[in-house]
Amino acid sequence: MVDLKKISVFVFLAALFLMLLVGNASARVSIFNGTITEGDGYQINNYVIDVSSVFVEANTAVFKVYEGGELKKDTMIERNDSIAFDFEEGEMELRLLSVYGGVLPVAKVFITVSDYNIGNIYTSGIVDGGHEHATYSGTPVLEITKTVDKNNILVGDSIKVTIAAVNTGNDEAKDVIFTNPMQESFILEDIFVEPASTTSIDIGELKTIYVYILKATEAGTFTLKPTTATFSNNADQNFPPATSNTPKVTVEVLEIPKKTAVIEISTDVDSVSVARNDQITATVHLKNAGDAPASFVWIEIAVPEEFEYISGDDAIEIIGGVPKIYMDSFGPLQEKEFSYTLKAKTLGTYTLISKLSYEYNNDVDFENQKVSTESVTNDIYVQKGKYDDLYEQPVYIFVLPIVAIAVIGAWIYHRYKQYRF
Amino acid sequence: MLNILIVGNGQCGNRILDAVNKQAFAGKNKFSKFYSQQKFKGRVETIAVNTAKNDLKELKYTKAKDRIHIPHLHGVGANRNVGKQVFLDNKDIIMRYIEEKGNFDVAFVITSASGGTGSSFTPMLIKELKERYDFPVYAIVVLPFREEGTLYLQNAAFSLRDIRESGSDGIILSDNQFLKQLGGNVQSAYDGINDMIAERILFLMDALDSEMMMVTDLGDFKTVMSGGAGIATIGFYKSSKDVPVKTAIQKSLSPAGLLFSTDVYEEASRAMVIIKGDKSYLSIDDISNEVEKLSGAIGHVFKGIIIRNGVYPQVLAVLTLESTSELEKLYSIAVEAIHQERDKKTRVETEKEIEKAFSQINGLEPQY
Ligand SMILES: Nc1nc2c(ncn2[C@@H]2O[C@H](COP(=O)(O)OP(=O)(O)OP(=O)(O)O)[C@@H](O)[C@H]2O)c(=O)[nH]1
Ligand SMILES: [Mg+2]
Repeated sequence: MVDLKKISVFVFLAALFLMLLVGNASARVSIFNGTITEGDGYQINNYVIDVSSVFVEANTAVFKVYEGGELKKDTMIERNDSIAFDFEEGEMELRLLSVYGGVLPVAKVFITVSDYNIGNIYTSGIVDGGHEHATYSGTPVLEITKTVDKNNILVGDSIKVTIAAVNTGNDEAKDVIFTNPMQESFILEDIFVEPASTTSIDIGELKTIYVYILKATEAGTFTLKPTTATFSNNADQNFPPATSNTPKVTVEVLEIPKKTAVIEISTDVDSVSVARNDQITATVHLKNAGDAPASFVWIEIAVPEEFEYISGDDAIEIIGGVPKIYMDSFGPLQEKEFSYTLKAKTLGTYTLISKLSYEYNNDVDFENQKVSTESVTNDIYVQKGKYDDLYEQPVYIFVLPIVAIAVIGAWIYHRYKQYRF
Repeated sequence: MLNILIVGNGQCGNRILDAVNKQAFAGKNKFSKFYSQQKFKGRVETIAVNTAKNDLKELKYTKAKDRIHIPHLHGVGANRNVGKQVFLDNKDIIMRYIEEKGNFDVAFVITSASGGTGSSFTPMLIKELKERYDFPVYAIVVLPFREEGTLYLQNAAFSLRDIRESGSDGIILSDNQFLKQLGGNVQSAYDGINDMIAERILFLMDALDSEMMMVTDLGDFKTVMSGGAGIATIGFYKSSKDVPVKTAIQKSLSPAGLLFSTDVYEEASRAMVIIKGDKSYLSIDDISNEVEKLSGAIGHVFKGIIIRNGVYPQVLAVLTLESTSELEKLYSIAVEAIHQERDKKTRVETEKEIEKAFSQINGLEPQY
């Protein structure tokens, strides 16, 4: 049994120790256990507990609690009594341990906090003269602006980037360190203003931090990376870094106008309907509507199998059975026509295709541009010829009359011979 | 079916033969031979004989193989003596030709009496035929226009006698002079006469070989032809409308229907009358009356009737003549002509004296 009791005590102590170590919120932690002269105060962070009057004979004292200079509590308590009030996110308790007389009366107090992370206490101590002489710590707020003098530039052009910061908070920003990352696609060309490694910015102060020149090296729309700043307040309290805006810059490439050769090709025929075994004449029209001369101009006339190429302009050569036209060059605004004649062989609906290919130099690129295109005529209807119906008749339709005529002819000749002396 | 041989001698004979051949064609026109066939009653062989090649060439409806050219310059120039000699020289060719044509029941030889070739070949050919075969041979002889000249007249006179003496079974006369009334130029007059003769020959051949209602046949024809003086002619009438058969018969016997000038009722001795036509037009009584009228005046008359549906009355009369005043007249002018020719000949001989005058300058040259 004894052993069990020993173990429980150890566990309790260990737990208590652990609670102290981690500053557990639920634990009550002692802040100050000492004497404060009447007229003085005790500051914890922005709270000041003034000991405004000490009544030795009555064993009482009047305490006034200020937060940031503002009176929050005004209470008189007796010896061994305590008052509690909200302290930031936790609760603070003030116990009056005793009062003493002297030149000035003194109150002995015990201040504890509970539900509070004591790591957050940055100031703690006696303030002579009370809250009126206390120094409060505030929250500096840095607003960083990043501006560019131009948002649209060409590759190779430069922009001036100005970064300024203004402290719109209620405390000085101290140990301010700006971070301005490198900007891809730009070269840092010149720097006019550069911040010191650390700086401080007073409340309401506007400071120009950076002024520098960036030169665009490539086209695109770029969002400049934000400039950030880390800082602390007078109480050396650190704040989350401030971030600037991110202006956009559009960089374009200056185009050198390119030249083109645009050969317009069209083919028309003298008649859209043709009788079989008749001929049609097709004309290929060419015009260079561009501003560059075309070279190596080939035109290939795709003659459907159902047609027979009869003749054409001298410029049309038959190469491998295909009518082709070749021109070394074909200048801007030049026009040309070529005609050829085909004979329709089979009934049906057809189109004639002229395939065009050529090259040109656009004056910018080293290599020639290659173009190929084709023109298609309207439908051409090959219809029955005048005597086609005859050709379609069965053979005997022709043979019989021919035989009959031959027989009659032979008979007449026979008779003629018979009666010719 | 009869086998009939028809020979045309000389230009006149050739052309009448050609007219027969033409009329045998259905169309009876220039082109008929190209589209139709000849239609004869019986088997008919036609042969054209001439010394003048051009005359033969002129023929149109006679087969070339049926034309025999006897080469002798350009005809015999109306000289019958030359003609006779030429025939003798070429007799074998002609006779072999006829021989090859097969057997015949009857032959007709057509000629002019007055030319050279036909008038000399015909009697000699008939003589040959009669010697070799025993079928009857008849001559169809064309007498000249009287104004054609003395040579023709004398030829006519002599050739008729020669033909009669050749052994022919009869002569059917046709007289150009008598038929002259047909008018027109000589060529169309000839063509008209030839067509008339051809039409009669064809009708006759038809009649000799028909299933007649009242039969006449080759025997009857022979009998008729053997009557009289061996001289005959043909009368014919073909109505183009519904004419009474009586009228048709009378017209065939009138000058308009005859080939030779004769008074039938006076000069004929035997006759054969053949009537052709649709039954409805042929009144037997009328026919009998007319035939009786004729036979009462002359002698025996054979009559034949051929029924052809839808045909208007046609009448053919073959008449042999006892006497012919026309022929007598012809002979009297012929005698005159012979005298004239003889005178002309002596005159020509005296003209030969002129030659003597010319002979005086023989061997001399004119001196200038
Ligand atoms: N009816 C008729 N008479 C004709 C025809 N041709 C000639 N004549 C006549 O016949 C006689 C002449 O005889 P042709 O037959 O021409 O003479 P040929 O027998 O050829 O003898 P050559 O010519 O003398 O060798 C003349 O009296 C003519 O009028 C004819 O086509 N028809
Ligand atoms: Mg003659």
